Amino acid sequence: MERNMSHQRGFSIVPRRQAYAYLAGLVILALLPVFMKTLYSYHIFILTFVYIIATSSLRTLATSGQISMCHAAFMSIGAYGSALLARDAGWSPWLTMPLGALGTMVVAVLIGFPFARVRAIYFSMVSLFFGMGIISVNQIFGKYTGHIGGMIGIPPLFASSKVPYYYFFLGLTAFSLLVLWRFETCRIGVCLKAINQSHEVAASVGISEMKFRVVAQGVSCFIVGLAGAGYAHYNTVISYSSFDLLASIYLIVYMIVGGIGSFGGPIIGTAILFVLPELFRGLKEFTPYLFATIILVVVFLMRDGIVSLGGKIKSLSVRSS
Amino acid sequence: MSGQGIEIIINALMLSSMYILVASGFALVLNIMGILNFAHGALYMVGGYVCYQLGVIYGINLWLSLLLAAAAMALFGLFLERFCFRPFYGDFFNSTIVSIALILIFQTTVNLTMGDHVRSLPPFVAGMFKHGGVSISWDRLATGAIGVGLLGILTLYIRKSKMGQQMLAVAQDSVGAELQGIRIHRVAAIAMGLGCALATVAGSFMGAIFDLTPFMGDLILVRVIQLVILSGIGSIGGVLIGGLVIGALDSILPLYVTPSIAQTLGLAVVIAVLLIRPRGLFGREVG
Repeated sequence: MERNMSHQRGFSIVPRRQAYAYLAGLVILALLPVFMKTLYSYHIFILTFVYIIATSSLRTLATSGQISMCHAAFMSIGAYGSALLARDAGWSPWLTMPLGALGTMVVAVLIGFPFARVRAIYFSMVSLFFGMGIISVNQIFGKYTGHIGGMIGIPPLFASSKVPYYYFFLGLTAFSLLVLWRFETCRIGVCLKAINQSHEVAASVGISEMKFRVVAQGVSCFIVGLAGAGYAHYNTVISYSSFDLLASIYLIVYMIVGGIGSFGGPIIGTAILFVLPELFRGLKEFTPYLFATIILVVVFLMRDGIVSLGGKIKSLSVRSS
Repeated sequence: MSGQGIEIIINALMLSSMYILVASGFALVLNIMGILNFAHGALYMVGGYVCYQLGVIYGINLWLSLLLAAAAMALFGLFLERFCFRPFYGDFFNSTIVSIALILIFQTTVNLTMGDHVRSLPPFVAGMFKHGGVSISWDRLATGAIGVGLLGILTLYIRKSKMGQQMLAVAQDSVGAELQGIRIHRVAAIAMGLGCALATVAGSFMGAIFDLTPFMGDLILVRVIQLVILSGIGSIGGVLIGGLVIGALDSILPLYVTPSIAQTLGLAVVIAVLLIRPRGLFGREVG
């Protein structure tokens, strides 16, 4: 019955089988530390978790058809906000992380109102300028944020070991994905998809474009602010160079290469594009070639991202049988 | 007017003309193909390095090597249009990440082969111009003059020639233009080649005035996007006015405030204009 209804509405409430797949992935990742020995592999996994959260939250905004080019800048608001409160005001990181995320959300909602006036390419460009503006504001206040060398002495969450961080970020990822998933399948998410298909039709049936886009921006930026704050307390050193335009563009590339049309796309895209270059880090100066090659292969052979590969294999096997 | 005032104005004009040269190619590609070509800054950088390779390493006359580099890059633009951008007309997501892949390839290649130390083209015109309180290098004057001249020729070409009119038609409505028998792929290819050639000229002149670095394209890319969006997508003439505004902001603000405050103010101006006029100064709605 439920499945039938989701068919009729023309969007997929994530089917039960897919939910089992996510659960299985979570269990495997939770057991993985038994086999992992090197600190470096923990580091890579933790960073992958951070970027999965960031990319997935970027996709939430993209369901309304707007590609934000300042998502890494929002991440930096959460990161610097939480880091400044924890280091200079001496509050506990466990308190400052949600505060940093809330601060990010407040900024996002405030600029969300004017930004909801512009669409498509213009939205991308306004957000691009906004992201660069955040970076230059960061440079202006270099006294507090540490100039190009970065901000140091951020209180860590856990002492020494990386294992608790691993579980913390795994939990954070699971929490964020759950929130984003719920958001996408609830009424607001459906309205966002309607706005994406045609903002005129959506407006004619009484969907307020501005309201829903601002809500989407707020939720998306809360999640990314949380990821940024967690990253700041994990790394204990942050520099604005990790949140610049290039970082935002990389998030977009992860999302599009993975597949913008489905919830799992950003996760797969981040996992592949972030981890593969790390495996070949012996050839450090050549990794951009690897990255570019993956992009070109995906764009030319799989228009809808890597996730479309599954459907293609299925249709091939159906045809051959 | 004091000598310094005149220097500021000449510098502003010089910068503006270079920005507009790069931006007009970017705007042509954006308006005709609907593709936001982030690689345009990288093409500007590659053009500068090709000119360096011909003029300094092979020792060809500098002006001749500028022409050769522009011609080579125009051919390269045709190649790019055919094999990288033609499959993605109007597909914003995929064309954007193709252009990002191109940036990675260009920057890494140049960085690995020639980026080991700071290089710079020799000045195209040597010496300093001194008159009264004004003292400015002939190179900058020549750059400004050639930039303004090329822009005049470009404007005439777009307004008067058949191909230019076809470009305007495709920029206004590509389906309508195709129905009228305009071969939009050929128009797009020529626009892309033209854009690459203009970017090469700008890259070479800027490489003589400033330094050549593998990442010089990033800075100009931001300026170019600023001025194209400020003047509005779909308007080719508006780029001239947007360019003057951005060039003036860029050459006057750094004299009074620190570079990061100047950058923030410049960005704030563009954001403010866009929020008041969501389609830019002279633009139209897109997608």
